[in-house]
Amino acid sequence: MFTKKKLIMFAVVCAIFAVGEFWIFSTLQNTFEKNSIKEMTSLIKAMTSSAPQNDEDLAHWSEELSAIYPDNRFFVIKGVPGEEGSENIGGDSALFDIWKLPANATIAENAAESVSYLEVFRWPAKVSFLGVPYTLMVAPVPDEEDSSARATLLVAIDASGYVAFGKLVQSLAVVAFLLFSLGFGIATFSRDPISGYAILVLAAIVIAFVAYPLIEAVRLTLVKEGRFSFDVWKTILSNRQYLQALWGSIQLGIVTATLSTFIGFMYAFAVARTSMRGKRLVTGLATMPVISPPFSLTLSIILLFGKNGIITKQLLGLQNFNIYGLGGLALVQTISMFPIAFLTMQGVLQAIDSTLEDASLDLNASRWHTFAHVTLPLAAPGLLSSWLLVFTNSLADFANPLLLSGSYRVLSVESYIEVTGMGRLNNGAALSLLLLLPTLTAFLVQRRWVSKKSFVVVTGKPSTRLSDLASPGARRALTGFVAVVSGFIVALYATIVAGCFVKNWGIDYTFTLANIGEALARGKQALLSTITLAGIATPIAGILSMVAAFILVRKKFLGKRILESLIMTPFAIPGTLLGISFILAFNKPPLLLVGTGAILVINYVIRELPVGVEGGVAALRQIDPSIEEAASDLGADQATIFRTIILPLIRPAFISSMSYTFVRSMTAVSAIIFLISARWYHITIQIYNFSENLRFGLASVLSTMLIIIVLAVFGLMRLLVRQSEFLEKTVTTQ
Amino acid sequence: MAAKSVPVMLSDVTKIFRDPKTKAEVHAVENANFDVKPGELVTLLGPSGCGKTTTLRMIGGFELPTRGKILIGDSDVTFLPPNVRQTATVFQSYGLFPHMDVFDNVAYGLKIRKLSQDEIKNRVNAVLDLVGLSELAHRAPGRLSGGQQQRVALARSLVVEPQVLLLDEPLSNLDALLREQMRVEIRRIQKSLGITAIYVTHDRIEAMSLSDRVIVMRDGRIQQVGTPGDIYEYPVSMFVAGFVGKVAFFPARLEGIEDDGRTALCTVGGRKVRAGSVAGNLGAGARAVVMARPESLRLVGREDAIATGMVTARVYLGSSVEIYVKTEAGEILVQIDDPSGKILPSEGETVWIGFDEKLVRALPAD
Repeated sequence: MFTKKKLIMFAVVCAIFAVGEFWIFSTLQNTFEKNSIKEMTSLIKAMTSSAPQNDEDLAHWSEELSAIYPDNRFFVIKGVPGEEGSENIGGDSALFDIWKLPANATIAENAAESVSYLEVFRWPAKVSFLGVPYTLMVAPVPDEEDSSARATLLVAIDASGYVAFGKLVQSLAVVAFLLFSLGFGIATFSRDPISGYAILVLAAIVIAFVAYPLIEAVRLTLVKEGRFSFDVWKTILSNRQYLQALWGSIQLGIVTATLSTFIGFMYAFAVARTSMRGKRLVTGLATMPVISPPFSLTLSIILLFGKNGIITKQLLGLQNFNIYGLGGLALVQTISMFPIAFLTMQGVLQAIDSTLEDASLDLNASRWHTFAHVTLPLAAPGLLSSWLLVFTNSLADFANPLLLSGSYRVLSVESYIEVTGMGRLNNGAALSLLLLLPTLTAFLVQRRWVSKKSFVVVTGKPSTRLSDLASPGARRALTGFVAVVSGFIVALYATIVAGCFVKNWGIDYTFTLANIGEALARGKQALLSTITLAGIATPIAGILSMVAAFILVRKKFLGKRILESLIMTPFAIPGTLLGISFILAFNKPPLLLVGTGAILVINYVIRELPVGVEGGVAALRQIDPSIEEAASDLGADQATIFRTIILPLIRPAFISSMSYTFVRSMTAVSAIIFLISARWYHITIQIYNFSENLRFGLASVLSTMLIIIVLAVFGLMRLLVRQSEFLEKTVTTQ
Repeated sequence: MAAKSVPVMLSDVTKIFRDPKTKAEVHAVENANFDVKPGELVTLLGPSGCGKTTTLRMIGGFELPTRGKILIGDSDVTFLPPNVRQTATVFQSYGLFPHMDVFDNVAYGLKIRKLSQDEIKNRVNAVLDLVGLSELAHRAPGRLSGGQQQRVALARSLVVEPQVLLLDEPLSNLDALLREQMRVEIRRIQKSLGITAIYVTHDRIEAMSLSDRVIVMRDGRIQQVGTPGDIYEYPVSMFVAGFVGKVAFFPARLEGIEDDGRTALCTVGGRKVRAGSVAGNLGAGARAVVMARPESLRLVGREDAIATGMVTARVYLGSSVEIYVKTEAGEILVQIDDPSGKILPSEGETVWIGFDEKLVRALPAD
């Protein structure tokens, strides 16, 4: 801890480091300066040696020079200034104003002396015109015999690059010093330096890749031409088009959330509360849309209901049916998102103590009365929270509207168009920030209100025997409803598969295998780079999230709440916003990452970290802390404990976090569409491009492949997790 | 495998927590001062929340003291993390590694110390022999009984040859019979290895039967340190007297302390009594009580009585009979040894209680 001896040692070492660092960086800066002066001198020598021989032509010389070197400023004086016969010829007179300043008299004298000895003189201080820093040089133009100066050239060379380099070096030096003193401080004063380093690394990651980009995004919406201004927000909030997009997003969210919650509740009730058959099949089918790649459902909706859709054109003969817009979007979003409501409601309905219902039935209430007055009120908070969950998901959704919105406007697509189509990054950032508003509201409602209204946690345990609340008639109706929806889902997936083998959907339905070959040939590079980057991100996200979970559950330290919320933030913000923030923050030094594969990997890791951390935290809470204390007591340091005890015990969470990261990275769209480059392309964007170009066959092939990969990864994960299930049991019985 | 025995010393150790909700300071341990001699088994005894486990965890390195110093042997370990201390803890919940079998659990500490495979094998087998678990070396901890898990935890701590063995309520998860067996076993092993041990319990019988010395704690403060006999016979306060055994208190007026503070003259129930011992912290003129253990009480005639009351229950225990009497000073337990042939009062009967003056003790009243 903080003993005097340690404090002194710490101060001494830090001071030595600071001195050494100062020496290194000042040497670096001096060398750079020397080199740049050398370069400038030779440049100026080249200029003066090519000076026009004729004194009359000197008048135009400065203009010629300005044309060749537009970044620099020139002023030409005949003879040596201050000496007899000197005469200002022309150029930028601001340069001569500096020369004439009374405060600069001594410098000017020295400069004139240098010029008369035919030497180039560098003005000791930087000068600045209109906010741009310059290095001022005074150079002689030698006469034919090379014995005296027949003219003097004042050159102001743009030094902004040089000044920026100096600043970069300085800030690097400061950052290096901070990192060193923090790291060394942890090593000196902490009883548990390894955890200290882990916290430091995690904090650095979230500050650099969560806080910094988001702050950059907000900052850019508040800046115009380098000054603070609300102009961007004024434009956004007064433009009809943008407000339409905001309203469009909210409208779509409301429709989707309502439909999804309704269907989800029907499903949940049928599965949790009736003796319907085929529950596993129904549940399995309903979870498909959750894990299936983006665009696949949209694609099949287009194939079924589009202009050349098999149902709209072939079966119904409609000519001008338009699936693009609110209706189509609500349909596809409902199918993709009702499973969220279903899974939430299933948990809620199973947790309701069925003895309450039995009691109601026992008191001679009818089944309907019991449902309406006991079950439904108990499930109400769950209904509201699944509504909010679907609502936020609908708002954040980017892939479906991208393909299917037509002339209907939603915020996520609008901000994408602003950024990539119009190149207005500020507006794009502002629009995606706007998207945060309803999402945050929903989140707060959920947090503040719904969670407090919950009655369901009364018993906690799922009841084993549940009374069948539905009368045979009601059950048949419910089963029929579930069957129709499930049948529709099956039809959607069947359509995608069928799409792979059809020559030209809507026009020519002949069977062909040509799509497969072409899709593979054209999508190979994208597929490879997607798998490569997802494969790199997976172990990083897995390890990082388990380390973060360990630290958040077991360690006490200053700023833990802030670290936790920063780690969890990417979960709450829409992918579009994250993507835009990333290009804003990383298309410039110090972290110039746009165009690299690294930015994609970082984006995957940052986005999937929250889910992994949640899983890890839940798993760790099951483990008796005395297990770790015992290991520490037996001599293991924190890294060894993590490797030999923690990781094996939370293996299921570790594996599922990794497979989740892999699948989500493979199927990402909203954030990465801003970050991909020609070298590092993404398979989902390839699917999008094929669909946009009406190459539905190729899009179907890639979608089907992606679905197969996703299913395979989840299958593998189940297999791996099942093997370690015995562990979980022994852990919880402790 | 006996390491050289070392002493443990705590000086002015204080631990202050901050309640995460109310932000109020909680003094878990205040100015704990005691030392444990080499090879000694000392018990920290007290009700839950008295700070005994916190004290043990500070010795083990799991908590940092707010103030004070902890010495093991000659070295100051106050701020050392657990993994570099020469202590080994047997946890209340055992903390066995569920993903390793018994052998690997016990071998863990040796593997950390990077011993050779052969040595690990020999030492693990030796210690498993010592706790009688050789047969179960390759069983998962989840498939062991409570007593067996307890032995694994003990073996795992012993195998690394710690300088100090720390036991945190190690028997609280076992049933009564097993508890008694393990108690004897732990004591046997500790004595045979000559290892310094600190034992935390809230069970007075465990504390009395195991320990060389007992430290009684209450509300973060040490009340009394002494041998089990001292604590039982010569408690310094009503709390200690009541916590370590059944006791009756009679309100008394202190008349004077005599024989160089060895006896006290008091008035109890209108009667002059010379109490056979007196607590050192009892000053003249202070409010006092006279304490008597059930075995020093007896039923007497009205003329010798200190208190009187009605019998509420009579419990026959074979070698003795316990008579519960409701008196003005509360319910009093009178123990009558060798009951056969004696005439015993029955329930509802009024009896008179007296005691052997030499066996009672004057204490300050709370």
